[in-house]
Amino acid sequence: MNKKRDDESVNLGLLSRRTALQLAAAGASSLAANMSVVDVLGGEAMADQVRRSGKRVILLWLAGGASQLETWDPKPGRATGGPFAKIRTNLPGVEISELMPKMSTRLGETAIIRSLNTKIADHGTAYELMDTGRVAEPSLKFPHLGALIARELGWLDSQVPDYVTMYTSTEGRREGSAGFLGGRYNPMFLTDSMIPPDIRRLESISDVDHHERSELRRRISDSFTKRFDHPVFDGHNAAYDRVRGLMSSDHLFNIDLEPQSVRDLYGPTQFGQQCLIARRLAEAGVPFVKVARAWWDSHGQNFETHQELCADLDHCMSALLDDLKSRGMLEDTLVITLGEFGRTPKINGSLGRDHFASAWSCTLSGCGIRGGTVYGKTDDDGQTVVDGEMNAGDLFATIFAALGIDPAKEYMVGSRPVPIADFDSTPCREVLA
Amino acid sequence: MRVRVLLFAVTILVVVCSPVGRRSRGGDHVVGIDPPSALARKVDQLIDAQLIDERAAPLASESAFIRRVTLDLAGRIPTVGELTRFRESERLDKRAELVQSLIDSPDFDFHQRNELDLLLLRRIKRDEPWREYLYEAVRDGRTWDQMFREIMMPDVVKPDDLRPAAYLVSRVDSLDTMTNDSSILWFGVNVACAKCHDHPLVDDWKQSHYYGMASFFKRTFRTRKGTLGERFDGRVKYETTGGESRESQFMFLSGATIQEPELGLDDETLKAYQESIKKAEREDNAEAPPAPKFRPREQLVSLALHDDSGFFAKNIANRLWARMFGRGLVHPLDQIHTENPASHPELLELLADDLHRHGYDLKRLLHAIALTDAYARQMSDNSGRPGDPSLFASALPRALTPYQLALSFRIATSSPNDVRGLNLEDDWPKRRSEFERQTESIANRFEIPDEDFQVSVEEALWMSNNAQVQNDYLNAGSNRLVGYLRQIADDEQLIRSACRSILSREPETEEMESIAAYLNDHHERRDDAIGHIVWALLTSPEFRFNH
Amino acid sequence: MDPSQLRQIAQRKCQDILFCVELSDDNSEAWVGSSDANVYCVDLTSESMARVPMGGDGHASYVTGVCRYGNVMITSGYDKHLVWWDTDSRESVRKIVAHNKWIRSVAFTPDGSRIISIADDMRVRVWEASTADLIGDVSDHAVMTQQNYPSMLYALDVSPDGELFATADRVGHIAVWETESLKKIQQFDAPKMYTWDPKQRRHSTGGIRSLAFSPDGKRLAAGGIGHVGNIDHLGGPSRIEIFDLESGSQVLEIEDNKKQGLVEQIAWQKDGEWILAVGGANNGFLSVFHAGDGKLIHQVDHPGHVHAMWHDEDFLNLHIAAHENMTHWTMREQEV
Repeated sequence: MNKKRDDESVNLGLLSRRTALQLAAAGASSLAANMSVVDVLGGEAMADQVRRSGKRVILLWLAGGASQLETWDPKPGRATGGPFAKIRTNLPGVEISELMPKMSTRLGETAIIRSLNTKIADHGTAYELMDTGRVAEPSLKFPHLGALIARELGWLDSQVPDYVTMYTSTEGRREGSAGFLGGRYNPMFLTDSMIPPDIRRLESISDVDHHERSELRRRISDSFTKRFDHPVFDGHNAAYDRVRGLMSSDHLFNIDLEPQSVRDLYGPTQFGQQCLIARRLAEAGVPFVKVARAWWDSHGQNFETHQELCADLDHCMSALLDDLKSRGMLEDTLVITLGEFGRTPKINGSLGRDHFASAWSCTLSGCGIRGGTVYGKTDDDGQTVVDGEMNAGDLFATIFAALGIDPAKEYMVGSRPVPIADFDSTPCREVLA
Repeated sequence: MRVRVLLFAVTILVVVCSPVGRRSRGGDHVVGIDPPSALARKVDQLIDAQLIDERAAPLASESAFIRRVTLDLAGRIPTVGELTRFRESERLDKRAELVQSLIDSPDFDFHQRNELDLLLLRRIKRDEPWREYLYEAVRDGRTWDQMFREIMMPDVVKPDDLRPAAYLVSRVDSLDTMTNDSSILWFGVNVACAKCHDHPLVDDWKQSHYYGMASFFKRTFRTRKGTLGERFDGRVKYETTGGESRESQFMFLSGATIQEPELGLDDETLKAYQESIKKAEREDNAEAPPAPKFRPREQLVSLALHDDSGFFAKNIANRLWARMFGRGLVHPLDQIHTENPASHPELLELLADDLHRHGYDLKRLLHAIALTDAYARQMSDNSGRPGDPSLFASALPRALTPYQLALSFRIATSSPNDVRGLNLEDDWPKRRSEFERQTESIANRFEIPDEDFQVSVEEALWMSNNAQVQNDYLNAGSNRLVGYLRQIADDEQLIRSACRSILSREPETEEMESIAAYLNDHHERRDDAIGHIVWALLTSPEFRFNH
Repeated sequence: MDPSQLRQIAQRKCQDILFCVELSDDNSEAWVGSSDANVYCVDLTSESMARVPMGGDGHASYVTGVCRYGNVMITSGYDKHLVWWDTDSRESVRKIVAHNKWIRSVAFTPDGSRIISIADDMRVRVWEASTADLIGDVSDHAVMTQQNYPSMLYALDVSPDGELFATADRVGHIAVWETESLKKIQQFDAPKMYTWDPKQRRHSTGGIRSLAFSPDGKRLAAGGIGHVGNIDHLGGPSRIEIFDLESGSQVLEIEDNKKQGLVEQIAWQKDGEWILAVGGANNGFLSVFHAGDGKLIHQVDHPGHVHAMWHDEDFLNLHIAAHENMTHWTMREQEV
């Protein structure tokens, strides 16, 4: 029951059920030096190498479900196509919706995936699926993508936040979850204000006092942990040790510090401003930033809604990619545009499109991606995937692979080895550089 | 009654085999054939029996003990008044006396309510009427099986009292959640893995167990008005990994099944009932039809309470143990099955059987555990290699729950003159009840700790920079600790007083020196410095955890 | 004519969405603009949907507006084009790029000399009908909404005498123009027609979708949707506001929660006593309101969202273009 983990040279393929149970029992007690009770089956040396590479992710979350037909997979001329035309792009033979004119000239670093079939078409369940890359299980709190990336790409004692989510609209708003990775990987969650809560010093205390009292805190804490040591106390101290660093990162959230020309590039909309914050954070080494743009759930007036929202997406995504590229950051920054699902080819009586998860699109740009790729194909009406079908697990495996994280890497949770990308998922080599 | 026979054998064995060298303990308050102290002794024998290679840690100091047991039984740290009284008491049985007074205190009822809320509902939502129900049930001494009945079949036990229905109502929209949560929380069994296939790692759990449990909840519905009911028909259908379609039986985790009697309704009546159920689910004023005679949830309760394999008793015994020790006898708590035996199987049987024989009186079990030496041990110091936690040779740190932390925060930051404590204030029950309400908003800020708990940086930022902390708790009002300390001119007195209020102990020499140095360095701004000292003590891990 | 007698006579089903409708002088044929980019000529003597697409070079996207003078018919589409058709030969005779964005509507002046088109580029353009020369290009409608998203210019109506015409947009702004001079002579704002959701969903819905001058040319009715709670759906009250042109003030507002959705077109009774409003959400409606006090006179459901109607002076024949069907209605009094 109480074998030390380091006695085991674990090869999961050879792991017996009995061993797995023993490991589970040992795992919870032998808190590793990295303070997480979740053990990793796999080389930590490799993980550190990945960390050192300084890769990061910006997720543009199209909450509510954007229409693939009005963005990446247009079907003009079909009954399902809607009124918009398709336009040529800078890639020979590739056409996208006319609502994305700016992106049409910037597909060189982007892979369009047109063949997602994720099956689940209700918001709550689909959100969970696309945030974790697997179907939810009541007994296992699986971490959201941001927490996984923060754990894999972030440093434990990071002086900047490592998982930031901006979600200003209230519809569909859900705070990301670190699941079994624990509170260390909870997101810094920004809703109404773009300044993270409690990140600024109160006026009533001077910076010197703030610093000195935290030194005193440390001395008192050390006196205790010298007598009684336990990893949970280290975790507590680590959280307080990050406070001053995080406080000094508050300027990252202040876009007034950007030159006007850069602010103009991103434009006046809230989404644009948040994309600019995301770029500032990525530049400072924040491994995962999610900017949620809600709410695309166009059951009525799909076309008017997409005229508004695609204008925002097209502009902000283009600005972000341009800016990252001009700073030489795009090679190390993976930009994902994704929602919980797409929208029905069938146009309803309110000129709306409903929930649809059987054949929809997303994009991956930058880090680790073979730019200028269009992967997968739907039929003429966009009803089914006819080539290159990909599910949520495959997409996550592809994302991890693009970042240099082994998709087969496993965490030991309770009595179970859990792979970071779902069982039976495969990274899509065609979109990887 | 297989359990009891086995237990009897084990007890004899233990009595014969276990070493007799016991530490002194105060006399028992409860006089009777079977007082909690007798159970405590048996527990210690079984724990000690496995401590062959392992040296048990010494008993915790008086200060450490009163802090630990007050947190565990009253849900808060002790006041300075309580601490002083305990330390000054010269009674030989003062630890037992303290446990007894905490068990009898109004604080116990509030704390027990909070713990049950955390266990059963709080992770899903906050529900004031439900909390009121739990409080009344605890205060009135209702037993665990009785509460199980009330919570599982509120529509049968007390149809007009909707409060206990919150457990089911909050889960009624998802049969999976209802099934999994109920198996885990009431029986310590996680069958979720057996939903799609027989459990890959545990032979005990088959798909039929998962769907068997689900079938007890399948018929439960909620009306638009918020009441609960059960349908007349409906079985859970599922597909085996072999692709075969099956209909589940009403089967408990033990494998025991119940046959459903003939419904005895003609098609027309059944159809009418089904229609009116549908209507009641949709419309505010529609009445549900009369309840069916065969009610699956009632069957589940009956199977669970008459189950020789003892899941119901073992689960709660294991959970109470884990609450007091930071680790279950079966660990993790939702893994009661043959391939994950308890660290002390006889002990788990003993506790489960004792609970069963004493009518599922949770208070008695907590009382007994608090009297054991195993509970009273010190945390392992840094002198040797860390011990095996499943031997319970030393105490494990446990993160305070949001309620414990918020209440302790309130008490620690109060002037000792203002908050004197149990049996030291005339109207303590009312005061305690006010604290529950006042600390509500900060309790909501803290995470509910689970096995993977880590203090989050949000909490550290909040403690560091939030105006509420500064203005409401660290202000210099005369009823606040900061205000109180400012009146103390002598540095040593001041430091002692701060440590007692916040850490429930005297300062170590080293601490005395660091804090005195801080005061000295900031002597021109002594008042500010006092606030910083209080903050630094409150944000130490020692305050954040029970240990 | 009795509005309470309003009833459906025929329904012709199809798979496409019909956005606009025009009738031949003898009521035997209808022309409809479709989501499949065709302009169809429908044989109304047949009870089922019997139709042929007009020939020649037509549209490439949804056909959303139609107007006719004699045998000259002009349609507008989301492909930014205006197309001239000869109704006798059923062929297109001219096609021009008229705007930079979706064209929402096109109308003849009563004398048939000019046409007016409006589009999401927010321009109001006047064309010589016979030559397709651009005569005027004006706008009183902001290109972007207050929240920096593209606005849309939905509604157009020409006064019965042709002296004036009016245009209205997504944010509820209405401009009234002198046809000859293209001077703006009046404006109204109906901000309740526009729902911006700053908090939950952060985009907008609504807009003025229909305009109609009263027969005496003194009042102007505007139709759309009132405040929408959940802008994912068209779940807001159908809404009408009537303005007095001379005083420049609103004289009536009607909000109807029984029939939710957009008011896509409004027609006046010839004496200006009542108005007929058609439109819908997932399904359609026809509602008749008293034009003086706004009281509901009669109301019926329509199968599928109603996009447009054509009617004769006495509403003896009323033809509706809708989602996947067209219908024929009448207010003729029934014989007892």
